[in-house]
Amino acid sequence: MITLVRTELLKLTTIRSTWLVLLAAQFIVISGISGLVLTGRSLDDPKNVDIAVAHVGLASFCTIVFGILAVAGEYRHKTITDTYLSTPQRGRPLAAKILTYGAGGLVVGVASAVTALITATIWWSAKGKSFDLSSAGVWQTLGGCVVWDVFFAALGVSLGALLRNVTAAVAVTLAWIALIEGIAGQILGDGLARWLPFAAGQALGRATNPGTPHLPQVGAGVLVLGYVGIVVAVAAFTTLNRDVS
Amino acid sequence: MATIEVRRLTKRFGEQAAVDDLSFEVQQGKIVGFLGPNGAGKTTTFRMLVGLVKPTSGEALIDGRRYHDLDNPRRTIGALLESSGFHPGRSGRNHLRILARASGIADDRVDHVLDQVDLTDAADKRVGGYSLGMRQRLGLASAALGDPRILLLDEPANGLDPEGMTWLRTTLRRMADEGRTIVISSHVLSEVAQTVDDVVVIAKGQLQYSGTLKTLIDEDGSLEQAFIRLTKHHESSHPASEPATAGAARIRDHFSTTTS
Repeated sequence: MITLVRTELLKLTTIRSTWLVLLAAQFIVISGISGLVLTGRSLDDPKNVDIAVAHVGLASFCTIVFGILAVAGEYRHKTITDTYLSTPQRGRPLAAKILTYGAGGLVVGVASAVTALITATIWWSAKGKSFDLSSAGVWQTLGGCVVWDVFFAALGVSLGALLRNVTAAVAVTLAWIALIEGIAGQILGDGLARWLPFAAGQALGRATNPGTPHLPQVGAGVLVLGYVGIVVAVAAFTTLNRDVS
Repeated sequence: MATIEVRRLTKRFGEQAAVDDLSFEVQQGKIVGFLGPNGAGKTTTFRMLVGLVKPTSGEALIDGRRYHDLDNPRRTIGALLESSGFHPGRSGRNHLRILARASGIADDRVDHVLDQVDLTDAADKRVGGYSLGMRQRLGLASAALGDPRILLLDEPANGLDPEGMTWLRTTLRRMADEGRTIVISSHVLSEVAQTVDDVVVIAKGQLQYSGTLKTLIDEDGSLEQAFIRLTKHHESSHPASEPATAGAARIRDHFSTTTS
């Protein structure tokens, strides 16, 4: 398994899109926090400190797409054939990808956290305020967001393995986040909608909209992990049984 | 000893049988042409041999084992498949390094195969800028990377210019002289006729002929004639088969003089 993880790392470091994902996440975090400040929120309100760092969770958009590329990207460029010729026990490269991309999600998450802290500190001091890191909420939010980034990377890998088509997998994911959970929320009501994957991700990253009911952070984390487990299991089953052509 | 054994192999996609009760063997050290019209089931057979497609019934064995059960498959059998590809943003060398790492093959082997397919100069360029012929050669390098005893090549002449064809023929001959078994599927019959010892012909997924090229040419005058006879009215023809014999060695001698 170590060999396969090292193989996946070599795959990642020999293409440019890996670095683009990392950069895109930083861009999202910087513009999100800047937007928050520029819309004139009160920087004295400690709640806004928390909201600012919660933008690290938005990097999960990047990590889930990044994860989708792990398997679906291999189908797109037809490198999956060589991957399975090297390792015909297909569950092993899938497991290696989940580990590697999970670690990649951690790197993106931690880098985004650092970026968020730097960006916020600069903005707060530019406005003559002090950015208060001492509150427990900040670290709890950052920690939750980084875990959210990691889990969504793993979710992306398994979604890509399930759908095997980059465009379809990305479209389904974005439609889910942007539309389906919203519509489901209106049908089911917020009480039930908080159990949906993206809503649970938001609760894990403490990035829920004020006033919306949400799960407690740890419970939400367990729930997201459960979703990841289900999709991984289905993806593993189809990966082992489908023909590759 | 048979290095490849295909036994009553069948693959159905819905009602359609892509490969239908196909059986043949390939002997050690031979170059074998695997021929058939488009849609005959050649590619599906290759994909079943290397475990990418699951047979509906029957089996495809390499050294008596399924691909899945080989200890380090790339060291036993190398495959160039039509559907394999490359990430356009990655260099040819890095593509091979990835395959080498996954199979525990030393990096100096990468340099060796790059040299074998004349890609050393382009090795550090991104594959997106490669010509079709260069990609085909990189595919061949991938297949040869594990120094396998058996090579499975699906349409290796695709995208090669006449010079590339000559290069391919010489390369295949050299690989065969090193004792490797090579199975080539191709629709360029004249190319096959200059390269192979034995021939397996299939049509509509069924075996039409398995034996030496010489027997076939003796019967029909040319491989083209034989191919047309075997595949055009294959419903009415009888599958013929003969074990690979010493005739192949004569053919090989003949061709090694004409191709040098």
